[in-house]
Amino acid sequence: MNEFENAKNAYGSTPIPPELAGRVQEGIRAGKDRRRNRRAMAVRRWAAAAACFGLVLAGLNLSPTLANAVSSVPVLGGLFQVLTFVDYDKSEGGIDYDVSVPEVDAAGSLAEKVNAAIQEKVDQHLAKAEQDWADYREAFFATGGTEEEWGGREMNVMIDYEIKGQTDHWVSFIVTFAEGWVASYEERNYYNLDFAEGRSLTLRDFLGEDWVNTCNASIRKQIDARTDAGGSTLFFAPDEGGFTTVDESTNFYVREDGIVVVCFPKYSIAAGAAGNVEFAIEAP
Amino acid sequence: MTKEEILIQYLVENQARFYRLAYSVLKDRDEALDAVQTAVCHALERQSSLRNPEAVRSWFYRILLNACTDALRQRPRTVPFPEGFDLPHEDPEPAGGSLARQVDALPPKMGIIIKLRFYEELSLKEISQATGQNLNTVKSRLYAGLKKLRIAMEGAEIS
Repeated sequence: MNEFENAKNAYGSTPIPPELAGRVQEGIRAGKDRRRNRRAMAVRRWAAAAACFGLVLAGLNLSPTLANAVSSVPVLGGLFQVLTFVDYDKSEGGIDYDVSVPEVDAAGSLAEKVNAAIQEKVDQHLAKAEQDWADYREAFFATGGTEEEWGGREMNVMIDYEIKGQTDHWVSFIVTFAEGWVASYEERNYYNLDFAEGRSLTLRDFLGEDWVNTCNASIRKQIDARTDAGGSTLFFAPDEGGFTTVDESTNFYVREDGIVVVCFPKYSIAAGAAGNVEFAIEAP
Repeated sequence: MTKEEILIQYLVENQARFYRLAYSVLKDRDEALDAVQTAVCHALERQSSLRNPEAVRSWFYRILLNACTDALRQRPRTVPFPEGFDLPHEDPEPAGGSLARQVDALPPKMGIIIKLRFYEELSLKEISQATGQNLNTVKSRLYAGLKKLRIAMEGAEIS
C-alpha cells in the first residue's frame, strides 16, 4: 500500500507553474465578461425589436435592468410589437426547459390568430417532449436498465424565437422548437406578417408574379456553386428527392436588408451534414 | 454568498488540483495552463448550468476534462518516436515511483478514473458525473484498471 501512497505523493508534487494563479484570474475575468455580453446581447435583441414596435411596458414582468435598457432606447410608432410572452429556464421531472415564447401585440384578428397558432405549437411541443421522455424512460427500464444507470439523465427542451427583419408594418420571425437527449429534433416555424394588410406575406409579395422561376433559378445556381469540380455535393439529385421547385408551402424569412431567404429543413434536400439549408434570393 | 462567489472561491482554492489533473492528462505545461484557464472561463460563463452548488466539484471536473480532451484533439498528428526513445520532459518527472508511471501508462479512459478516484478522491458517483459515463462503466473501468496495476486492495476503500 505504501507504493500507492508514493504514487499519490508523486502526483501531488507535480510542480505548479507560478503563472497559474494569474491564468485562473484571467479565466475568471474573461468568463464574467462573456457572461455579461451574452446577457447584454439578449437584452439588446429584445430592446431593438421592442423599440421598433413602440413598447408598452404595462403588464410585462420586467427585471429592473431590462426595464432600464428598454426605456433608454427611443420609442418609435408602429402598428405592432413582438414581445417575449413566456420566458423561463427551469428543470423539472428530468427535463431541462429553456423556453422563450413570442407574442404579437397588434390590433386585428391576425395577431390573435398567430398567437393562438404559436400557443398551440408550444403546447404540442411540450406535450410531445414529455411523452417522448416518458417513453424513453419506460423503454430504458423495460429493457433491464437500473435506477443507477439512469443516473441524472436529463432531456433538453428549447423554444426560442428570432426576429429576422421588420419595417413599421411587417415583421419576419422564426420560432424554433427543439428537444435533445439521445436523439435530437428541431422544428422551425416561419412567420411573415403584414399588419397594414392584416395577413401573412408570401414570396409573391416580395418577388413578384414570377416568384417561382426567380427562386428556382437562384437556388439552382447556388446549388451548382456548392458542387465541387468532381460533381460531389451534399445536395441530393432532383430524382433522388432533392430540390425541384419552390411552392406555396416553402418556408422563408426576410432579412433586415429586405432580402428574402428561402429555407429547407435539415435532410429535406441535402444530407444531414448540410443542416438547415438557406438560400438568399436576389430580387429580379 | 452568491452562486458566482461560491464558484470563484472554489476555483481559486483548488487551482493547483486542476492544474495537476490537466498536466497528468496532457503532460505539457503550457497546454495544461491553457486548459485550466479555458475551463475556468467556461465555468463562469456557463454558471447558470450549475444547478446545485454542492455538486460544483463534479460539474467543474467535467468542464476541465472536456477542455483537456479538446486540447488533445487539437494536437497535430505526429509520428511516434521509436520504442525506447525517451522523450525529454519540460517539467521533471514526479519523483517516487513505478506505480505513478504505471498509472500514467494506462489507457486514458482507465487512467483518468484511477486518478480521479485515488488522487482526487472523488466518489464513484462524482466520477460518473465528471466523465459523463454511467456508474457501471466507471466501476468496470476502475476494476479493470486496478487489475492491471495489480494493486493489493487491502485497506483501500472503493465506494
